[in-house]
Amino acid sequence: MENEEEKTKGKDERDQCEELEKKVLDLENKWKRALADYQNLEKRTAEESKSVLDFASEAILYDLLPVLDSLEDATLHIKDEGLNLCLKKFKDFLESYDVEEIKVDGTDFDADTMEAIGSEKGEENKVVKVHKKGYMYKSKVLRPAQVIVGRKE
Amino acid sequence: MAKILGIDLGTTNSCMAVMEGGKPKVLPNSEGMNTTPSVVVPDKNIVGVAAKRQQVVNPKNTIYSVKRLMGRRFSDPYVQQTIKHVPYVVKEGKNGMAAVEVEGVDYTSQEISAKILQKLKADAEAFLGEPIKDAVITVPAYFDDSQRSATKEAGQIAGFNVLRIINEPTAASLAYGLDKKKSEQIAVYDLGGGTFDISILEIGEGVFEVKSTNGDTFLGGDDFDVKIINFLVDEFKKETGVDLSSDKQAMQRLKDAAEKAKIELSSTQETEINIPFITADQSGPKHLNVKFTRSKLEQIVDELIQKSIGPCEKALEDAKVKVSDVDEVVLVGGMTRMPKVVEVVRGFFGREPHKGVNPDEVVAVGAAIQGGVLSGEVKDILLLDVTPLTLGIETLGGVSTPLIKRNTTIPTSASQVFSTAADNQTSVEVNVVQGEREMATDNKSLGRFVLDGIVPAPRGVPQIEVSFDIDANGILNVSAKDKATGKEQKIAIQGGTGLSKEEVEKMVRDAEKSADEDRKKRELVEARNQADNICYVAEKSLREAGDKANADLKKSIEDKVKALRDIIPTGSLDDLKSKTQELSLELQKLGQSMYGPSAGPSGNSGPKGGDNGPVEGEVVDEGNK
Repeated sequence: MENEEEKTKGKDERDQCEELEKKVLDLENKWKRALADYQNLEKRTAEESKSVLDFASEAILYDLLPVLDSLEDATLHIKDEGLNLCLKKFKDFLESYDVEEIKVDGTDFDADTMEAIGSEKGEENKVVKVHKKGYMYKSKVLRPAQVIVGRKE
Repeated sequence: MAKILGIDLGTTNSCMAVMEGGKPKVLPNSEGMNTTPSVVVPDKNIVGVAAKRQQVVNPKNTIYSVKRLMGRRFSDPYVQQTIKHVPYVVKEGKNGMAAVEVEGVDYTSQEISAKILQKLKADAEAFLGEPIKDAVITVPAYFDDSQRSATKEAGQIAGFNVLRIINEPTAASLAYGLDKKKSEQIAVYDLGGGTFDISILEIGEGVFEVKSTNGDTFLGGDDFDVKIINFLVDEFKKETGVDLSSDKQAMQRLKDAAEKAKIELSSTQETEINIPFITADQSGPKHLNVKFTRSKLEQIVDELIQKSIGPCEKALEDAKVKVSDVDEVVLVGGMTRMPKVVEVVRGFFGREPHKGVNPDEVVAVGAAIQGGVLSGEVKDILLLDVTPLTLGIETLGGVSTPLIKRNTTIPTSASQVFSTAADNQTSVEVNVVQGEREMATDNKSLGRFVLDGIVPAPRGVPQIEVSFDIDANGILNVSAKDKATGKEQKIAIQGGTGLSKEEVEKMVRDAEKSADEDRKKRELVEARNQADNICYVAEKSLREAGDKANADLKKSIEDKVKALRDIIPTGSLDDLKSKTQELSLELQKLGQSMYGPSAGPSGNSGPKGGDNGPVEGEVVDEGNK
């Protein structure tokens, strides 16, 4: 009889042990997962803050482009040395911030850097007119060029 | 654990999100945008913004709004109606289903949608740096079985294992956590780029049931833009007599400007549409410069917004739900950013709609949450608590110095080194306070204890490290340790964070209300502390200088110290500051006279005795007062 009791007791303890072991494993697993999640977040945050730094000026530069457009339009109508100098100053400033005009004259239409706003008779798939100049900022399209694309008929 | 992508496959734009650390995160595409235009050039495999940019020159091969054809038969009246709106070829495909033809090749609507999904998949994988297999995709609530299985097929073609297709309004409700409500009626108002949907849902035991849907399949943001452009054309004509509508280039500029103005007027009351040199005639260049107000915009588009009310009424009628029975209103779609839209919706339903989650992303966010529920991630998430209020200690002059800021996730710990406020002070009292106010007396004191046995030393010299530690159960342990002797005192504060929600909110509100006043009080105390400190330094310097100091200068400093000491308890902030400044200048003179003329390399250093306290310089409230 006593033996029986001992046995059940032993079995209970073994069960309990197993349960605890399982719990420890489970907790260890969860803890490692949380730690890994955290480390991954740290890595991503570091990357993100780097790219934030890289492109921190992007929004402001983008908002400056319409001002440049207007200045350029003005030089078409008003022939004035001072105005030209203003425009040059502005362009130099943008260049110093790695803003570069997208070359479109006579090139093939490229949807990655250009937006077609119309088509005209001309050489197929070539840019025939630039409506609004496009700009790259570092390796990114800051604003696609708005162009009119040629078509045969 | 592999991530599950939640996808809002939209008529005009698509969006995707995943669960990360128990929270939904919208993923940007390879162009860095959170939404991707649902536009495809199938023969060249161009998808998204690039496809949209070449649409004008390649209209026949550029497929957009393919969702309008999804899982529908060619003979479906809706397909016939759509054909009138799109420039590409829609034809009868296999089994009488609607298909599109590009360069002689037929594509099913599933294949076109699959190309969008493929791009999203590739971009998500590139962003996360891991492969993605599983997806939850959303569809409009009115989609029938055939449309739903077509969407599922599109997912499969794109290489996804589609775990579930869920309704867009359900996803939006999930994003606002409405699944946790017991039993409610929810109205989801979705005004997007090209379509308007209203859905009435009923939530019960975590299950959403669509009671009715209605809408206008050709009403959206694009119609708003057209209205604004027409207004600008009319204005310009009135002013200059020139009709811009035949000038393609000018119209393009107006289109860009109209969109920009629409967005700006959602946050400001007035904007200026300024397009110099928009056109030219014999008399020279012409400029467009129009002041555009929010009220004018609202007047122009009112008719469009009102158009959404009829469907709302019908949806309620079909659901047999009274307006007064609607418990929650959820806004979806970019156009719901317009304050007037919110106002009209609020007016109709008589309650404040849910906002907060980006309306362009809310459906994708909900899909990601559904993915999280399916994978068990949402349920399994260990909900970590936060400290609802800032915890800190009282320092010299009754200032509350924070150690753990409010909303910090617990368990957490923080420590800071403090010092004594008087010479030979042998004990400090640590008063643990909770709250957002600048002065300790305005906050709640959680407990206090005394650390004694500090070795007598000039003020500012002893280093007493105060540590706060909140464990996972919210129990706050505070200890203070004298670094010189290693002597330590501590206190455990149970339930320091156990305030009711109302109490916390009240304390935060009070702090906001009295922020200005508190800041002034604190500035005054700080000025007093500074004044006291400079007096102390001055006296010490004079003592050390002894006979070497110029008698006149000594006298002047003594007078200034006395004058400053006199006003410390009662003086105004400005007086304290100016008198402190005067004394500080005199002290510099003393320093110069002591080291100046004969000074070696150290001649540039400040006045001797300028040890305004070590390390943290802050001083624990005197324990023996």
